[in-house]
Amino acid sequence: MFFNSLHFAIFLPIVFLFYWFVGNKSKINQNYILILASYYFYSCWDWRFLFLLVFSTLLDYLSAIKIEQSTTTRSRKFWLWLCISINLGFLGIFKYYNFFADSFAELFQSFGFNVSPILLEVILPVGISFYTFHGLSYIIDIYYGRIKSEKNFVDYSLFVSYFPLLVAGPIERATHLLPQLKKRRKFNFEKAKEGVYQIIWGLVKKVVIADTCAVYANGIFDNYNSMNSLSLMLGAVYFAFQIYGDFSGYSDIALGTSKLFGIDLLRNFNFPYFSRDIAEFWRRWHISLSSWFRDYLYIPLGGSKGSKLFQIRNVFIIFLVSGFWHGANWTYVAWGLINALYFIPLMILNKNRNNMESFRLSFNFSSVRIVFNIILTFAITCLAWIFFRSKTIQDAYNYISRMFTDLHFSEQYFKIERYTTELWSLLLIFVLVEWNSRTKIEPISGKYSWLKVSLCLAAILALGVFSDYKEFIYFQF
Amino acid sequence: MKQFFQFILKGLAVLLLTMLLLDVLYTVVYRQTDDRNKISYLFNSKDRKYDVVFLGSSRVNNHFVPEYFNDQGYKTFNYGITRSRLEESALMLKLMVERNYTIDTLILQVDLNINTNDHSEAIRSLFMPYIHQSETIRQHYDTIPEYNKLLFVPFYRYMNYDARIGFREMYASLVHKETNALQQDGFNALKKNQRPMIAADLSKYYPKRNKAYEEIKAICKKNKIPLIAVTTPMCMSTINRDYFNHIQKIYPEIHRLENAVTEDKYFSTCGHLNENGANEYTKAVFKTFFKTKIKS
Repeated sequence: MFFNSLHFAIFLPIVFLFYWFVGNKSKINQNYILILASYYFYSCWDWRFLFLLVFSTLLDYLSAIKIEQSTTTRSRKFWLWLCISINLGFLGIFKYYNFFADSFAELFQSFGFNVSPILLEVILPVGISFYTFHGLSYIIDIYYGRIKSEKNFVDYSLFVSYFPLLVAGPIERATHLLPQLKKRRKFNFEKAKEGVYQIIWGLVKKVVIADTCAVYANGIFDNYNSMNSLSLMLGAVYFAFQIYGDFSGYSDIALGTSKLFGIDLLRNFNFPYFSRDIAEFWRRWHISLSSWFRDYLYIPLGGSKGSKLFQIRNVFIIFLVSGFWHGANWTYVAWGLINALYFIPLMILNKNRNNMESFRLSFNFSSVRIVFNIILTFAITCLAWIFFRSKTIQDAYNYISRMFTDLHFSEQYFKIERYTTELWSLLLIFVLVEWNSRTKIEPISGKYSWLKVSLCLAAILALGVFSDYKEFIYFQF
Repeated sequence: MKQFFQFILKGLAVLLLTMLLLDVLYTVVYRQTDDRNKISYLFNSKDRKYDVVFLGSSRVNNHFVPEYFNDQGYKTFNYGITRSRLEESALMLKLMVERNYTIDTLILQVDLNINTNDHSEAIRSLFMPYIHQSETIRQHYDTIPEYNKLLFVPFYRYMNYDARIGFREMYASLVHKETNALQQDGFNALKKNQRPMIAADLSKYYPKRNKAYEEIKAICKKNKIPLIAVTTPMCMSTINRDYFNHIQKIYPEIHRLENAVTEDKYFSTCGHLNENGANEYTKAVFKTFFKTKIKS
């Protein structure tokens, strides 16, 4: 069940009505309704994976209690590592086993040994990377004594499987979400209205921006050998907007949906393409994952303490792991590596915390420099996205080589019977709307909100892609 | 909560109104456009008189040269549409009857398209803007599963077929963006030649009784339109050319003209003739069925 499907459009009002009219009396009823809805939501993909979700929930729940009850450090460590190993074990088997088996076989073959790896015929359970990290953050927080373990299994289960965030985040923290689940939610009209606006804007991003860009980006990436420099550059830009529209659109729908139930989720995107350097980009892109890696990997590794060499090692580790988290393919690892290479010069020069404050543009040299930095950051981000989108590293290399050597900049009419430059006006309008509303959560609220709602609905209906349906990209991770 | 329900109801009203307005806008634009494709050209016409009309898929669109017929004194138009199946050809013929066309001879391509009773979504979509205006189109589609949604949900048809009749095509229609669909009386010549030519494989093709073809025959009979069903050329390296023998076993009235042009130099791809090939084939068709009229 996708957020932009008719199924969800029927499911959501039903759950909403039950939640506020049947379960309104107590927090227990509200949580029961949400958990039933969440399990139904998850089982719509494949009910068999529901067992995995319940097992993972049970494992984290019991491990947390055991850690808290342990009187010795050894015992605490035992329960922590047992839980981490099993969680990562599942992730490894479902997501990475075939990749490693293939990669090792290729390595052995390059040395002249003929190896036929045993591959598993399994499908990746949707959202496994998200709910595994969700649970891990909880268990690590318990281990370090940052929070108390949750004794109520229903509340904890809801924390893990709450349907708006179950399949593609944001990756929540127990410190943020669990306290909200521990008390009865009261209906708040303003919050619910904001949620509806956020859902509508999320749909615009997904159906209008991401899916339209996908048509062109796929056409260009799939036929890059016959594309000229301009088309290849546009292909990278289109993919950048596709993945942003897709994932931030999903997050907006998730956050908006959750507001309908009176629950706030962590913000996942903060206009990342208006970043002035790559460090700022990573503070604004997939915030819940970046902060997860910061808190549970980078800081435990030593973070920015120690020598520069030590810091560089830590940065490489988190970017490589982050790349690998996205998928079992060397292209994601390369993408992570490239981002690390972008980041390290800033860190060496102590400039990675330069652009923490917000900014305003005016007619002066400083503003010109800001605009230049934003464009430069966007350009290098697009270059890295080529690795993320390509099927192999060789494809990405060929794509980039051709982009810089073909040197033809004419408009092309390509296989999908469209012109490569057609999307400029749409993207320009989108960027202007985002720029104008960058201090808000969504651009609809405020003056003339009904006019803006009408325009968004008209854009979804008239400009959306419906016949060539595309799944949310991050569902595969 | 009451305030929220009022808010949602207002939102749903805005949604419905937006759908209605967009539906009206798109439909008005398509209704006033007759130069984007052969279906809009046909729908926005009346009382046309033709000596010969060609109907079929790309193997008509790229193979029959009306200019040759016109030079021999026959008023002709090529209504073949790339990707269309016999189901869409049948609807086009029904629309011609509805629009009071006079057709002396209908030449219908019946070869690869007889392999299936399926339809073409891409071409079906081009009829959708006119579903409210044409009883013929409504009747043709009233048995398909999504008929009610297409007919009664405002703007649904434009969303469902957005790749073909969505915003891009509506805008192109609004500004009358030029296409080559109607140039040369509907004939579209193929200029590029695939070399080496890849042989077409018909080993999985098997001709079946075709409902749409039989419907076309019935319409022609009812409206006294002489029908000539023909096969069109495939390159000689085609795997399983025996397919054409099977066609004739099922429908003996079909004229075998797939060997009218055989040399590779006349083919753009194995399944489609190039411009020279189309001229040769058209001549062969003409010589088989017609005689030059003395021009007045």
